[in-house]
Amino acid sequence: MLIQLEGVTKVYEVGTEKVNALGGVSLSIEKNEYLAIMGPSGSGKSTLMNVIGCLDTPTSGSYRLKGQEVGDLDDDELAEIRSAEIGFVFQTFNLLPRMTAFQNVELPLIYSKAHRRTRAERVWGVMDAVGLRDRAMHRPSELSGGQRQRVAIARALINNPSIILADEPTGNLDSGTGEEIMQVFEGLHRAGNTIILVTHEEYIAEHANRIIRLHDGLISSDERGVRGSSLGGPVGSAERV
Amino acid sequence: MEFRETFVSALRTLGSHKMRSALTMLGIIIGAGSLVAVMSLIAGLNQSVTTQFQSVGTDIISVSKFPWVQMGSSEDYRGRKDITMHDSDAIESLPSIGLVAPNIHTRRGMSYGRESMRRVRVSGTTPEYETIDNYAVESGRFLTQFDVERRRQVVVIASEVSEKLFGLRDPIGKDMQIGGKKFVVIGILEEKGDIFGETLDEHVLIPITTFRKAFGSRRSVVVDCQPADGVSMERAMDDIRALLRVRRQVPRDKPDDFAVNTQEDLTASYKQLTGVLYFAMTGIVALALLVGGIGVMNVMLVSVAERTREIGVRKAIGARRRDVTSQFLIESVILTALGGALGIGGGAGIGVLVRVATPLPAATTPAAVGLAVGFSLITGIVFGVYPALRAGRLNPIQALSYE
Repeated sequence: MLIQLEGVTKVYEVGTEKVNALGGVSLSIEKNEYLAIMGPSGSGKSTLMNVIGCLDTPTSGSYRLKGQEVGDLDDDELAEIRSAEIGFVFQTFNLLPRMTAFQNVELPLIYSKAHRRTRAERVWGVMDAVGLRDRAMHRPSELSGGQRQRVAIARALINNPSIILADEPTGNLDSGTGEEIMQVFEGLHRAGNTIILVTHEEYIAEHANRIIRLHDGLISSDERGVRGSSLGGPVGSAERV
Repeated sequence: MEFRETFVSALRTLGSHKMRSALTMLGIIIGAGSLVAVMSLIAGLNQSVTTQFQSVGTDIISVSKFPWVQMGSSEDYRGRKDITMHDSDAIESLPSIGLVAPNIHTRRGMSYGRESMRRVRVSGTTPEYETIDNYAVESGRFLTQFDVERRRQVVVIASEVSEKLFGLRDPIGKDMQIGGKKFVVIGILEEKGDIFGETLDEHVLIPITTFRKAFGSRRSVVVDCQPADGVSMERAMDDIRALLRVRRQVPRDKPDDFAVNTQEDLTASYKQLTGVLYFAMTGIVALALLVGGIGVMNVMLVSVAERTREIGVRKAIGARRRDVTSQFLIESVILTALGGALGIGGGAGIGVLVRVATPLPAATTPAAVGLAVGFSLITGIVFGVYPALRAGRLNPIQALSYE
């Protein structure tokens, strides 16, 4: 089991009030699943993503990533897990503006202390995978939205993470470009990656093979094999559950 | 994160805010610059003063009515009795004292033919003065015992007097007027140079006996002397002090009413002066660096706030606290180090200018450069730590959602 959450709660204190962002979530995710987390705003999907992405720890309950309990790790241990196991893709891309695409993609390798000589090779590898070899030396401001998101995806892939965690990855893109990005995820999934999408768009979620819906900090449904093919794309039978 | 990457990244960030970085560095530039400049000047001053003190002579004891360096109010010195030729003779008879040269001074106008000079220093003294006070005769001869005994109307003139009154003529054997009296020039002194900006070469020496007869005997005598062979300066000075206290009937509970000067006194008061200078400079530098440091801290705090989102991204992709902290710390240290380097360059430049444009041999010492480098780096670290720690402690979720 790649991810195992049991009775995970998250309570925030806002002033004197306590907000139950997650009210006891239990969830298992296998390797190479393609999963979408859906829910209206305030449903706790962002909190769940932060917990799964090791940006935050549960107030109570247990979260095991590859068998390791994450709840009792400190800041730096969480950073090391994020570095090794998690690849983030954000709605707003979050590329560093003063660096080239190449340097942005290389940055996680620097934090994970990869050797300088192997870094360039790996960066070129993932740039090829997202089809941006010829744009690598441009800064984000010189790239289109779709290209920026591809750079962000390349950055997420660079450390061969166990999970790719994408938060509304098409939210800032037009539908055509969004569809291209979804094709990239599709390919990554076929190549054996585990992908977790956080979205409130039904048609985006339909790319996944499993959809989890949250409501008021609790899972309200967990559907498998719902994958729709209305938006097209090459779909092999092996990917259907 | 490797140092190299952190360093390059810090340079990139600072480079993207050139104006801001430059203004931030200004305080450090001024601090390090003034440190190096002032230390260069003091080094030059030390050098020139050391040279000048050597011209006084290191083993000379000079007994006079008033000290070379007067401390306290002039009240303390009022009503002192003159030092007499008898005192001088008594000092000479002390076994701990070697050579003695009593000397008395005035200023008089002098002339030769149509050339004249006003208010030139005239000293009456004895032959021993040549050795004790480091005079060297360039041509002719110095005063002799015979000149003194016979109260001869002879004069030894310093180089500027020779130049101004005689020009290219040879002064030896010529008659000149000093204070309306006729003197024969018997010798010319070698050039002595300046001390504290005053020339030592507008000066004439005549026999002390002649002086007393021509210009009056009611003058306090200065007694320059050396310890006898194998006697320490301290011992000789103690003996003189004891002798004069008895001769001048100074009560046991009163301080000396005369002064026993040595080159040490000059050195000591000079050291006191530069001590004050160092102290003042330290204050200025500390202040400049404090102001500069606050500027650095302010800019770094702004930078952390501006880049909150970037910090969030870096943390999300695996940066640990210390990665972020060291990144910001290195940025602030680069700022102050660069400021320090520019300041050192500027300060050293001022030193060179002073050396070229003035007689002061200003020199930038390695100590000054080391101190400036040290201060700059320490400022960068001290004032960079807080913003850097703040950056490192940012919560990644809040940082990522920061607008």
